[in-house]
Amino acid sequence: MIGRFMAAEAEEPIVQIRELFKVYQQGEINVTALNGISLDITRGEFLTLMGPSGSGKSTLLHIIAGVDRPTSGSCHVQGIDVTALNESELADWRNHNVGFVFQTFNLIPVLTAYENVELPLLLTRLSSGERRRQVQTALELVGLADRQHHLPRQLSGGQEQRVAIARALVTDPSLIVADEPTGNLDSHSAQDVLTILQSLSRSAGKTVIMVTHDPKAAAYGSRSVHLEKGELSN
Amino acid sequence: MTLTGFIAKNALRNKRRLSLSVTSVAVSLFLLVVLQVALRELTNPINDEGSSLRIIVRNKVSLAQPLPARQLQVLERIPGIAAITPFTFYGGLYKGDEKFTSFAQFAVDPARTLPLITDAKVPREQLEAWLADRTSCIVGKMTADRYGLKIGDRMQFTSQLYPADLEFKIVGIYEGTADDRNVFFHHKYLDESLGNPGTVGTWWVRAASIEEAPLVTARINQAFANSSAEVRAESERAFVLGFVSMWGNIQTLIGGISVVVVFALLLVTVSTMSMAIRERFRELAILKAIGFRRRELFAFILAESFGLAMLGGVLGVGGAYLLCNSLDIQKLSNGLFLLFEVTPRMVGFGFSVAALLGVLAAAAPMMTVARTSVVEGLKTLD
Amino acid sequence: MALPVRYSFRNALVRWRSTLATVLGIALVVFVFVLLQSLAAGIEKSSGNTGDPRNILVVRKGATAESASLISRENFRQIQYFEEIARTERGEPIISADVLVLINLPRRNNGGEANVLLRGVTPRGMELRPQVTLVAGRWFTPGKREVVVSAKLARRFANFDLGESFKSGTAQLTVVGWLDGGGSAFDSECWLDADEARAIFERDMYSSFLIRPKDEVAGTNLIARIENDRRFKLKAEKEVEYYRKQTMTAAPIKWLGGFLAVMMSVGAVFAAMNTMYAAVGARTREIGTLRVLGFRRRAVVVALLIEGGFLAFLGGVLGCALAFYWNGYTTATLGFETFSEIVFQFRVTPLLVIEGLVFAVIVGVIGTLLPAVRASRLPVIVALKSV
Ligand SMILES: Nc1ncnc2c1ncn2[C@@H]1O[C@H](COP(=O)(O)OP(=O)(O)OP(=O)(O)O)[C@@H](O)[C@H]1O
Ligand SMILES: [Mg+2]
Repeated sequence: MIGRFMAAEAEEPIVQIRELFKVYQQGEINVTALNGISLDITRGEFLTLMGPSGSGKSTLLHIIAGVDRPTSGSCHVQGIDVTALNESELADWRNHNVGFVFQTFNLIPVLTAYENVELPLLLTRLSSGERRRQVQTALELVGLADRQHHLPRQLSGGQEQRVAIARALVTDPSLIVADEPTGNLDSHSAQDVLTILQSLSRSAGKTVIMVTHDPKAAAYGSRSVHLEKGELSN
Repeated sequence: MTLTGFIAKNALRNKRRLSLSVTSVAVSLFLLVVLQVALRELTNPINDEGSSLRIIVRNKVSLAQPLPARQLQVLERIPGIAAITPFTFYGGLYKGDEKFTSFAQFAVDPARTLPLITDAKVPREQLEAWLADRTSCIVGKMTADRYGLKIGDRMQFTSQLYPADLEFKIVGIYEGTADDRNVFFHHKYLDESLGNPGTVGTWWVRAASIEEAPLVTARINQAFANSSAEVRAESERAFVLGFVSMWGNIQTLIGGISVVVVFALLLVTVSTMSMAIRERFRELAILKAIGFRRRELFAFILAESFGLAMLGGVLGVGGAYLLCNSLDIQKLSNGLFLLFEVTPRMVGFGFSVAALLGVLAAAAPMMTVARTSVVEGLKTLD
Repeated sequence: MALPVRYSFRNALVRWRSTLATVLGIALVVFVFVLLQSLAAGIEKSSGNTGDPRNILVVRKGATAESASLISRENFRQIQYFEEIARTERGEPIISADVLVLINLPRRNNGGEANVLLRGVTPRGMELRPQVTLVAGRWFTPGKREVVVSAKLARRFANFDLGESFKSGTAQLTVVGWLDGGGSAFDSECWLDADEARAIFERDMYSSFLIRPKDEVAGTNLIARIENDRRFKLKAEKEVEYYRKQTMTAAPIKWLGGFLAVMMSVGAVFAAMNTMYAAVGARTREIGTLRVLGFRRRAVVVALLIEGGFLAFLGGVLGCALAFYWNGYTTATLGFETFSEIVFQFRVTPLLVIEGLVFAVIVGVIGTLLPAVRASRLPVIVALKSV
């Protein structure tokens, strides 16, 4: 345990955020969502982002995941400045490096669980056999191998979210981001989801960043960061 | 804010959807009106006073079978006939036209023809010139304008019906008849080039009065019954309607297709419009939650749908009206269409369809509103 | 990299209730287009299918049709003995001088009147037209006032049943047989003895000559010889060529089909556009998710275009199926050249089906283009946040 920690310490942080600002301009008023955030996240960490509503958690997460762009500042992930990539470079980058888990699951309703998980792999060069193996592995990991031919509406919320997690990790990304993944779930399903995320960081060495309002959920993480009005508060 | 203001604001909110809906209503109604105009033009011959006075006498065998010229003496003795002339369709292809010439040429006896074309306005000296010169002709103003013809010009024709290619000198240009396209020339000229066969195509007769016209028709038919060349006399209008009936199934087919066309467009439009209303389902649910009753919501939906349809109607029917009345349709359609007039009846019909459309499009969303509870409505977010 | 095609297909099908009207609308547009074109194709096919490639038809120069042609007996005497003309074993030239007369007859069930083309034909002329066969009754007896009518016309005109008779001119003609033209223009004719026809309708002149030349070369020479002889003012051409050009009736129908298709497709494009705007609007977040997963804008646009094109394609298939229902159905109208009733069949050709389908897909793709581009333009973050 300590050894692992030490090894991680010696490494370059996987996410390096420097002086990140995000300002929304709405007519006369400027809304500062992120106010000069600097943050390092180490490989294998399970970081939880907490803070009151409107404090900028989602905004920060979106920037790290390469979905949104900051007003100023930089965000390096594995040495690459994601704020400098253009649209299509970002698309490829997201596909290879990030797995995204949403509060509302966002599965494609017309595709089965299997097909939903397979979707990101269609952007890679893998053969269909390799794809099948990876999808199976991912679904087994979330314990849903037996439900792969079901459509999202035939699954419960917790199962849907587990499928979404499988989809997030099927490309074997080093970074998994989750925005209130348990927000729409009952406590039992939430536990399942959190356990999976925890084991991903512990045994698979993935870096997991999770936004949550729930202190019980935050307890699954290895480190917790608090945001307050767009600034880190501890 | 008034409720009307709310309706207007709502309808205008999605400008793209609004303009798409209005345009598709407009396009359907435009097509509806134009099809009606065309159909009327093709199936309904011009009906002026002269056309019920004038009678066409053809061979009973068919129009293509000639009549003996000697019938004239018999015809002249029939009471109630005010004027009569030989009237032969020459079937000429005007020099330069490829396959089809849009105006007809008739061989007539000029002196006898004048009482038959009383509505034609021609200067007296032009008429005299026509009577005097055997190779001359008079031309309708529409044709003269179309081909840029003026008095003194010559016109060359190849006949598709007779082995006689003729050239006429234009001595007069007339206007004011129901169809100012035709060319009239001397029957004698045609007879001579054919070696005086002693036949005419048809007889053109003018009855002394409208009351007498049916009697005259009957008398003529009677006069030649059981002769070697039995005839069929009928009013000019009936004669033209006979042509229309020859079209046979095509006429029915085109009528049927017009119905399909309009139905297709209405279907599409109705669905578009109900989609537009369904899209705002949540608002309706909110209104319901606030305390609006079903009846008021119905009024709200109906008002919007009706307004959309009417706006489309104004654009579509109005567009058709402007287009048909301002375009030189005769030139554009190569002489196929003459008047292309939008009648008040068609305008009325167009707007009735628009109104129906407005009601139909509102029906589906209204039904859903009636069935859905507030809670369900609020939940239709996803 | 593209999204899987089944994503597009399933999305097109899953919302079938709201897309039904659009699909039906496009189906009707395609139906009207294909039906009208199949009508024109039927007319063209019936005249294109007429004649024997060896025969040469002679009519008056300037006449649009045989029925409007007049040729003198003198011309017949002159041409008859041209050495290019083939001969029978008994040494008679194989040439038939026909007489065509238009007669006005009542339709069945008080359906008004129409012109029918009556052909006075010689025994030689019947041999030269092997397409025409007798399907009921017997052939006319020369010298008698008997007529064999087209079986297809018999269904449309009063007094055309076997044994019935009708009056035309001074004569009472008895129907003794039904003929079949094998889908050619002869299906619109009634045949009787040539001399009898000339007597009844007081025709001194002939309408046309149908000639069998000795061989191909003789045929070419014969055409040149007749055309160049200044005495004649006649037009000679291969029989099949003459009929192939009889397509004036089809032209306005084609034109109408095209016009309606263009007008209706405007409406159909709007419908497709509205459907796809609604479909895309309801799926904004889904599209955002796809973008987060790494799919590019182009992939999203292509997937939506396939979806819209597929929907329209379904409409096209339905429209073609509706039109195909009429395939082979016999109908008739006034032929512009002959000025008589011409019988023909709706012909939904493979080419027309393809045209109809392509037309449908184009409508769908054009209708989808704007909504698709709009959806893909939306920044990922905005798409994700939409409800
Ligand atoms: N598109 C936008 N335009 C203007 N302001 C925005 C926009 N998106 C976010 N904001 C503002 O930025 C701030 C941070 O938003 P963010 O979504 O990151 O909050 P959050 O911490 O995730 O809150 P919650 O816990 O409620 O999800 C908020 O004040 C919000 O109002
Ligand atoms: Mg948030």
